Amino acid sequence: MKKLNTFKLPFLLIASVMLLVGCTEPHILERISLATLIGYDLTGEDELTTTAVMRQINPDLESKTLIQSTTSSTSKGGRKKIELATSKEITTGQLRVVLFGEELAKYGLDYRLRTIMMSSEISNAIYLAMVEGDLKSFLESDYKDIPNLGQHIFQLIEHNIEQQNAVSSTVHEISRDDFSRVASYALPILKKEKDDIKISGIALFHKGKIVGTLSAKDAFYIQMVRDNSDNGTMELNLPITTLGDHSLSSSKYLSVALDSIRSKRRITVVDQTLPEFNLTIHLDCRLYEIISNVNIDEAEIIQKLEKEINKKLESEIKRVIQYSQEVNSDIFRFGEYYEAQVRNANMDVEKWSEMYPEMKVNVTVKAKILRDGVFQ
Amino acid sequence: MKKALQVNPTQMFNAPLLLFIICAAQIGVGVHGFQSFIYEHAKKDAWISIIISFLAAHIIVFIIFKILQLYDSNDIYGINLDLFGKYFGNFVNLALITYCGLAYFVIIKNYREVINTWVFPDLSPAFITAILLIIVIYAFTGGLRVIIGICFFSFFLSLFIPIILLFPIEYSRINYLLPILDSDFISILKGAYYMTFTIVGFEIIGTLYPFVKEKKKAQKYVHFALFLTLMFYLFIMFITSTFFSGEQLERTIWATLSLLSIIRLPFLERVEIITICFWMIIILPNLCLYAWSAYRGFIRIIDITEKKFILIFSLLIFIAAFPLQTRIQIEKFNNFFGSVAFYLIFVYPLFLYFIALIKKKMFRKKGGKG
Repeated sequence: MKKLNTFKLPFLLIASVMLLVGCTEPHILERISLATLIGYDLTGEDELTTTAVMRQINPDLESKTLIQSTTSSTSKGGRKKIELATSKEITTGQLRVVLFGEELAKYGLDYRLRTIMMSSEISNAIYLAMVEGDLKSFLESDYKDIPNLGQHIFQLIEHNIEQQNAVSSTVHEISRDDFSRVASYALPILKKEKDDIKISGIALFHKGKIVGTLSAKDAFYIQMVRDNSDNGTMELNLPITTLGDHSLSSSKYLSVALDSIRSKRRITVVDQTLPEFNLTIHLDCRLYEIISNVNIDEAEIIQKLEKEINKKLESEIKRVIQYSQEVNSDIFRFGEYYEAQVRNANMDVEKWSEMYPEMKVNVTVKAKILRDGVFQ
Repeated sequence: MKKALQVNPTQMFNAPLLLFIICAAQIGVGVHGFQSFIYEHAKKDAWISIIISFLAAHIIVFIIFKILQLYDSNDIYGINLDLFGKYFGNFVNLALITYCGLAYFVIIKNYREVINTWVFPDLSPAFITAILLIIVIYAFTGGLRVIIGICFFSFFLSLFIPIILLFPIEYSRINYLLPILDSDFISILKGAYYMTFTIVGFEIIGTLYPFVKEKKKAQKYVHFALFLTLMFYLFIMFITSTFFSGEQLERTIWATLSLLSIIRLPFLERVEIITICFWMIIILPNLCLYAWSAYRGFIRIIDITEKKFILIFSLLIFIAAFPLQTRIQIEKFNNFFGSVAFYLIFVYPLFLYFIALIKKKMFRKKGGKG
């Protein structure tokens, strides 16, 4: 105790006084607006429209959503202008989604991405998406059944990515593809439909600019090529002749639905100069629905089905890859496989942009129906 | 010639504790962002650079022990004095003390920068520095045993970091590591050189040696500690280089922290903020050990009490911290420190061993004649 008094006590006192006095600026929940969604769009020449969806917590426990929009040349400048129009300080720590308007996507997203990456306040796990049409009217229109727009859009994107109905688009993944000299990225497209919002498609980018779009149902094909998946669902229209004349005569296709899809893909370079790739996808699934009254417990019928599924998937995946080659957007990251498997590849953006449209991919799908339901 | 350093038995500690001391001394602020520096040179083979740098560290530890074993129980400062005489020996000691001060300074500066960038942009840098200095003064005056206690706790409390680093594996792409050995050997060596800033810390054994109870066992534990930190760094490097794509990693300043920012736990939105604040417990042993090491050298030159020393030392650091403010200055200073550390830690022991061997031989000859 004696020692403490003579030497340590003054220090402890100073330390505690400093801790009490020298605090940083406090953020009190009732006095801030939490920006949950920010949208950027381009108006006119170089003017950036920033729209923020904010949530304010009131002392009477009712939270309300607020939408503010402004134009300026930098996003921080936009934030400052929005600040002038709100009664509470804006914080972006709870930001979940950043949306880009179509005009901005045509102009290029590079600078916006850098800004998001530079900020330490914004997490790398937030989602990016593109909005079809004008962003301001998309956000400012009155959605009757959506009380909290920011949270709604976040959950819409998140659960669809989890179920592999949309391409994953966290800031980290997008900037990773953006910086990886040999890949391009894809963003989900959001669209307003009457009083609702839906994911309407996939936007393909090349060097930061939008070059093409695919429909939303192609997302799973893209996912299958990009990554191993373990929880997918899809509907396929097989030719009506697959199972002979057992099928219902009125429809043009034999529709099947598969779920619990586990797929494993392998990509190997077979020819370095062309380049040519072999893409093999192994697919285990459950037959969930089949619009036919045929009894599917015979091994022969299952085999026929598998064969047709393989054919159908191969053609669909080929179509998607071909489209991406037409618009020169390597969203499947074939370039990274090329770099990984070819020594001293010395890839750069230009070289791969020239090679990618010439690329040839041999797609092989090996589907296996493991089980169907509890009733045959 | 070989006058042993007198150490009070109550101040000594058991050899196994060296494991925690060396690990705690090595893991510090470097972990936040060492990846991008190595990647810049060694590219996809950055992990090979790390292995090479640790092999070098093992060799240096081996040599430091060889030097220490030439003397019964003496530290590196005593050995310098013995080999080079009073004046030049003290000069070399002063260089080593300055090195300790620089290391201390670099740690505080970098940690302060991280706090200011990630957690509290508007917090005064002087305040953070002062708080850190006060904690170190408090721990330092407790003596060596308290410092070792801090090392022990720092080691065990930081075990959660490898576990949370498992979350980003979801985003890993193994393609970023292939093909192995794509970079040429020179670039890999350059990458290993840039590891210096992150790997230093083990040199503390030169000062700690006289305080180890079982001197014969000491070396084993130091090597084992090096192996543990190697595993830790390799693990981080593997996760980082599969997580980021090439240029993205080069542009990321604190790769480990960016890596953590993707994690979203149900009860915790931003793991990296907690980790940064927690990092103070990880850098505390570094700071204490360097201050202590500087003190051990300083009392050879001027007889001074622990309290006076740490007060003057802290005051100097506090004043020196003012001119260095921007990120670029800190980066430059880090590089400068890296090269100083490289020569003092990786080159100087080889030289010292050489001199010590010659001197030993000369004395034997003299002894034979006389």
